[in-house]
Amino acid sequence: MLALWHPDDMCLRKKAAGYEKGMVIIMAKNSLKRKERRAGLLFVMPAMVQFVCFFLLPLCLCIFASMTDWNVLVKNKNFIGLQNVVELFRDSKFWIAVRNTVYMLLPIPFYMVLGLLFALACHKEIKGNKVFRVLYYLPYVSSIVALVLLWKWLFNSEFGLINQALGLFGIEGPNWLGDPVWTKRMIVIMIAWKMIGITSIYFLAALKNVPPVYYEAATIDGAGSVTQFFKITVPMITPIIFYLLCVNIIGSLQTFIEVDLFTTDGGRNYGVATVIYYIWQKAFNYSQMGYACAAALVFGVMILLVTLLQFKLSDKWVYEGE
Amino acid sequence: MKKEIATLLITAMGALALTGCGNKTDDNVQTNTQNTEADDAQTQSQKTESNEAGNDDTSGEEKVELTFMGWGNDSEVATFRAMIDAYEEKYPNVSVDYVVVANSDYDTKMQNMIAAGEQPDAFYCGIDYVMKYAATGNLYDLSSYVENNDLFDVDNVWENAINIYRYNGTGLGDGPLYALPKDVSAFSVVYNKDLFDAAGVTPPSEDDPWDWNDYLEAAQKLTDGEVYGTSMYSMESAVWSNGADWLDASLTQVAFTDPKFVEAFQFVADLRSKYHVAPSSSEETSLSSYDRFMQGRLGMMGVGSWATADLWNQCQFEWDLMDWPVSPNTGEKAVWFGSAGLAVSPESEHLEEACNLIAFLAFNEDAQRTSYTTGMSVPTLKDMAYGEYAEMDKAPVNKKGFLNVLEDYGRLATQSRTFNQEWWSEFNSGVEAVFNGEMSAQEYCDSVADSVQALLDKSVEQQKALN
Repeated sequence: MLALWHPDDMCLRKKAAGYEKGMVIIMAKNSLKRKERRAGLLFVMPAMVQFVCFFLLPLCLCIFASMTDWNVLVKNKNFIGLQNVVELFRDSKFWIAVRNTVYMLLPIPFYMVLGLLFALACHKEIKGNKVFRVLYYLPYVSSIVALVLLWKWLFNSEFGLINQALGLFGIEGPNWLGDPVWTKRMIVIMIAWKMIGITSIYFLAALKNVPPVYYEAATIDGAGSVTQFFKITVPMITPIIFYLLCVNIIGSLQTFIEVDLFTTDGGRNYGVATVIYYIWQKAFNYSQMGYACAAALVFGVMILLVTLLQFKLSDKWVYEGE
Repeated sequence: MKKEIATLLITAMGALALTGCGNKTDDNVQTNTQNTEADDAQTQSQKTESNEAGNDDTSGEEKVELTFMGWGNDSEVATFRAMIDAYEEKYPNVSVDYVVVANSDYDTKMQNMIAAGEQPDAFYCGIDYVMKYAATGNLYDLSSYVENNDLFDVDNVWENAINIYRYNGTGLGDGPLYALPKDVSAFSVVYNKDLFDAAGVTPPSEDDPWDWNDYLEAAQKLTDGEVYGTSMYSMESAVWSNGADWLDASLTQVAFTDPKFVEAFQFVADLRSKYHVAPSSSEETSLSSYDRFMQGRLGMMGVGSWATADLWNQCQFEWDLMDWPVSPNTGEKAVWFGSAGLAVSPESEHLEEACNLIAFLAFNEDAQRTSYTTGMSVPTLKDMAYGEYAEMDKAPVNKKGFLNVLEDYGRLATQSRTFNQEWWSEFNSGVEAVFNGEMSAQEYCDSVADSVQALLDKSVEQQKALN
């Protein structure tokens, strides 16, 4: 909303200034300003409409619904206050789902480090590195459903390539798809693999932005390439590291589709289900929309807290420029 | 002025960019229309067809437009499309908009349509949802229609299959009728005749039925290296035949800590964990028993009548059906049978046409014939099942294996008779531990009794809140 009123303020201030210079100029300026204001409004309109229709309105509805016993199939809803939240905190399944969701953060350090290494490799002008860039990026743009089908086949406990390969070394591969602990590990591996490409693209962009003069100066001062990496490269790309951390943590906390596709009912003992999966089940399998809204809000607040904490800590290590 | 037009254009472009994603998907649907195999495309093309038909025929009496929503594989969709054409021919004033939704999305979509007040006039209704939808006033009471219709004779339909769609306010089984069975699927035991002959096992007959011990003995004889004797045995069959159930008769208390239940449960688990005549859990996840059977590496397996086509097409050996073994304690046999229903929305503006449509689709003789000759299901009409179906010159020889379930000992699954199924998923979430021998059936049943009861209480509570 602030953005909308700014031009207006400016308009008023300039109008006051123009008063001294005579009416004619004011009139001309005024209509020009009005036109500009209208144009400005038009420009922000699409974003505003989107924001209001797809974010603000649903959020308000969700807050309202979370305090009712709304069942999708029943027309009338009763106000029940915070009962949904109380019930949510008492539900052991919710806490299992929270633990599983935290588990899904595991792949982040792996693909961040590997992504950076890949980016460094691509950054050097090596023959054929364009081909590699495309290859890295491929998993990210592939349809998740296709990937899951492929992985189900790869990780099949008897005929899958992974267990066959392990068998060559005399290791008996685990029951990836049947045992929830291993299914979770498999999802971690899959997400790490999928995300390396896009992460390395971000890092590559950041690396290209580090001014070469720093390296030149460091070379003259006699710094080796390892020192250069830790003293120049890493500090210079901390903003992108921070950005990726924030976005990826939020993304990982919202893991859903892998759980839905790899398991039925969240796996044995609910061992693979994430919070989003829990919410989805409540809303669309058990028609408890009000309860699901409450769960979604609680989870939203949790994510918000995590992200705020990250921002708070970011002062300590993110380089913001001179 | 020019500036303003430019602004407008830019804004419009911006808006288009924002909705870029939406436009793209629309394009996809359009191009997919030629590909009649994709579900979405079918929806789309069917819509356009019926719309055109609707527009062409404005001259005569007022056209009634019905929406009909269902799921199904290609052959089922094709069958239904042909039936709908036949219906439109018989009732020229009605045009039907047939919407096909992917099976996995169906219930979600249906619930959202109900929430938005846009439910189709007629639709598929899975048996698990009958109670939920009927109790919330989302199904039209078909009782009086069924008695006074001229499309079919209700006495000629499997009584079991009709009665599961009755709901009296507290439970299924009697009361007003809320849906018609689109199909019935009997669950029986299929066995590999070649393996039986090789192992010297004589299958049971009507005069000489098997009990669990005979079944186990046969499975042990059949198990040999690559070949397993049996798939995991049907829990329902074991538990019910032993005179037990998951819940008590009122469906409000868990009853699976009963020794009779535990005994049956342990019998099922022992097949895998003690006697090793059924594939292990990891073997099962890597190759389902269903596929293992088709490959000729499994002796016996519980199978639904819907699998007939696969058995015809994939088995390179002779197979036949047997009745489920009886419990050695009671001498009784039992198993579940499934069905999907066709229902009408009470919000429909054309109730009579919608009722006619579902009756036509459910009991049309040609359609029934197509569905059993293509191996999709057994006929819903009794005279046809005992007549031309039983005489059909195709496997299984013992077609009574399916028919007995429908006529005699088949039951509606316990979880379909409660308001929601959360307690059921809770019970099942850890049964693998028993099947794998990590826990005894008794330990497991004791350990989950409280949490399952809590969820069952919730289900009962939700149902009560609606009355």
